[in-house]
Amino acid sequence: MSRDDSVVLGESAVEQLRQAASEHDLYLEGGILRLMSVDTDSPESVKYLKEAKRLDKARRRERLEFTKGVQRRNKEYQQQNDDLKTERGRNDALMVQLKDEKSRTEQALETVKKDLDYAQRKNQFELVENIVTAALRVIIGVGVVTTVMYAVALFVTEDPAAVTLLGSTWSNLLGILLTNSFSIVGTIMGVKYASDQREGPSS
Amino acid sequence: MIRCILLVDDERMFHWIFEDACSILDISLTLKSIDSADEADRLFADWKGDSTGRPECVFVDLNLVGSTYNGIELVRRINKIHGNGVVIGIISSSTDPAEIEKAKQVGAQFWIVKSDELEPRLEAFHARYDGYVDRSEPFRVFA
Repeated sequence: MSRDDSVVLGESAVEQLRQAASEHDLYLEGGILRLMSVDTDSPESVKYLKEAKRLDKARRRERLEFTKGVQRRNKEYQQQNDDLKTERGRNDALMVQLKDEKSRTEQALETVKKDLDYAQRKNQFELVENIVTAALRVIIGVGVVTTVMYAVALFVTEDPAAVTLLGSTWSNLLGILLTNSFSIVGTIMGVKYASDQREGPSS
Repeated sequence: MIRCILLVDDERMFHWIFEDACSILDISLTLKSIDSADEADRLFADWKGDSTGRPECVFVDLNLVGSTYNGIELVRRINKIHGNGVVIGIISSSTDPAEIEKAKQVGAQFWIVKSDELEPRLEAFHARYDGYVDRSEPFRVFA
């Protein structure tokens, strides 16, 4: 800085400034102080300027420390914010993963249910088939036996009344067998219908 | 004392810190702070015609959010396009050697690391300032 830049304060101006300082505790401050100079022969003027500069620097140092503190806190908040964002990103990714897992589990559960239902139905059909087969065998067996017995009785017996009795008995027996067979088939169909209704119309 | 410093930094709070630090250390007579590389570019273009207010020394932040280009490109433009008449360097919290090398390549004369310990670094820089003006001082990282 050259000497030409200096702003020289006259003694009267310094006196007024000193008065303001003593009455109101107000001093010159800011960048302009760097240009200020006073008459070095006046110790009071030199003292005032030194004090003004000291106070200005003290205020600036205080402000600097405060601003640094605010900046530090801002950086900490920024860091915490970034950490939170990262954590939220991780949580979102985890949530998506969990949803996928849930969906896969539900699909697997559905498959297992279907398989179980199929196995149950298969068992049910096999059971029905066995019952029907056994019942029909018994009915056909009884039918065949009675028919053979009637045929034998028809050829062996000479009494027409006995033949008529045997004939009506045979037809009654076949009627009963036929009724029973329809009853078995009807019962089985009823059970099947009832189980279908219990599982719902879609199944 | 440096007659005029220009600080280009997008962080307004750092303007206050830098201004107070420079003031406490009596580094500069005047200090102008701006927050964009575009504005700095425009100012240097204007100073080509009229050098009134042209700074002696320029501190440029590395990352200038919201500007067309970053600090290194701004240093390059000031040195190569607007004329190499100022002491210029980077002031950044980064210590990335690749970035420091890039800054050196485009003509930055110093790299000051931003931190809580800014004042001693500025003081060290100021002590070497005359060497930067006559280009005798080598590139240095103040960390």
